[in-house]
Amino acid sequence: MIELTHVWKQYQKSSWALSDVTLTIPKGEFCFITGPSGSGKSTLLKTFYREVLPTEGQVIIGGRNILRIPDHRIHAIRRHMGIVFQDFRLMHHKRVFENVAIALRVLGASPKDLKRKVFIALRMVNLQSKIWEFPSQLSYGEQQRVAIARAVVNNPRILLADEPTGNLDPALAQEIFTLFKEINAQGTTVIICTHDRELIRRFGGRVLALHEGKLHGKDVG
Amino acid sequence: MTLPKIRYFLREALQNLWQFKARHLFSLTIICLSFVTVGIVLSLSGNLRDRAKELSKNLTVVFYLHKDAADADREAVATRVRRSPLIGAVKSVSPDQALDRFRTDFPDLRDILQNLGSNPFPASVEASLKDGGIAAEAVLAFIAEVRQSPGVEDVQFSRDWADKVRALGRLVEAAGFFLGGILILASFFIISSVIKLNVLARRSEIEILRLVGATNAFIRVPFLIEGVVMGIAGSALSLLIVFVLVKSFPLYLGGSLGALQELINFRYLHWTQVLGLLGGGGLVGFLGSLSSIARFLKI
Repeated sequence: MIELTHVWKQYQKSSWALSDVTLTIPKGEFCFITGPSGSGKSTLLKTFYREVLPTEGQVIIGGRNILRIPDHRIHAIRRHMGIVFQDFRLMHHKRVFENVAIALRVLGASPKDLKRKVFIALRMVNLQSKIWEFPSQLSYGEQQRVAIARAVVNNPRILLADEPTGNLDPALAQEIFTLFKEINAQGTTVIICTHDRELIRRFGGRVLALHEGKLHGKDVG
Repeated sequence: MTLPKIRYFLREALQNLWQFKARHLFSLTIICLSFVTVGIVLSLSGNLRDRAKELSKNLTVVFYLHKDAADADREAVATRVRRSPLIGAVKSVSPDQALDRFRTDFPDLRDILQNLGSNPFPASVEASLKDGGIAAEAVLAFIAEVRQSPGVEDVQFSRDWADKVRALGRLVEAAGFFLGGILILASFFIISSVIKLNVLARRSEIEILRLVGATNAFIRVPFLIEGVVMGIAGSALSLLIVFVLVKSFPLYLGGSLGALQELINFRYLHWTQVLGLLGGGGLVGFLGSLSSIARFLKI
């Protein structure tokens, strides 16, 4: 479960990126964070994996206030999360296999376990045939699927996606969202930042709407 | 640390070394040149130290007598010298014996002696010091005492040579280590800069590692290995170059140096020096890399 209590974030003195955000996201939820550009969507998502430290407030994930965890221990929290970005963030000089395997290597997985889990993750995103290709040899949609495979390969409790379909056409975007739904059906909490209202309407789920850093919750679906 | 992790770190480090091979090659050249300088200095100063040691083992004192000193004076000096516990063998050399010795040692100069008409060599007493005599102040006191004996005109003590060779060795060592030290410091900064460039080039990859939950150590270790590999490879290459130089020196330059050849002869390094240079290379690489990571990899 994710709990934010009176979270404020200020980058510059004159404006608040997050303004008194309080929310609870139960385990296994499929949730959207939406709002116009500059509304604080990405900032909110970044507070979940402590890329951004709130100016005030509490962020509790799995019963732990992650703001109290020292910097050198933050990896322990991130190992329970999968993160997907609009720009995929793949290692372009490494093959698909290595891009996905890295999430298991940091855990010290055995070679056998690593190969098995990478293959399962790539099969889930239907890219098992591209395992030895480089990201530059793949389409944008395929690259995003590699990023999703990397995010889920270690069975995270939470999957965070920041504008995951921003670079994709509507058909590919739908394909990616279908994948997120499947992942969510396996019990993973999925939180997606997007401003694509059509996809939100089509896939349904809890919607957290942000406007100028303030939260307005509503449910669609 | 598990075996798969160690394998991953090594593979990552080697891949990075290969990926940025131009800058690593440049770095390797500088490290190598630095350690070649240190290697040559060690070889040369080691040789000079050995020479000084050999000279110390065969220290001799020669007491020259006045030209008109009587044989009895010579024998009195010889007896006095023989009685000293500091002295090993003693040889009393008459002017005729000295002349014969010169004729035997320098046959080409016989004509000069004939032109002189008379024997120019004085009688002398030659004494070899027992081992360790070089360090004893008592020897100097003894020489000064004998010098006061009737008939003694001059004293030649070969300790001067040993001291001079030893001082030359020290000078070479000091100059070499100063130069080598500067070059090794340069190697340190070059490794540090190369690792900094590598860190900057791999910023996005480091970001990904952080996001998938890599520990700081997991991110840092491949960079440290890169530095250590560069340092060890550079020093190993320098050992090879020093070896080739040592072997080829007598072939190409030795003859032209004449008597100096023996003095500045190169001998290959002792195995402890070889290990020291390899370890030093690794250490310079490690520290260079560490300083860069500490400054540019804030994670």
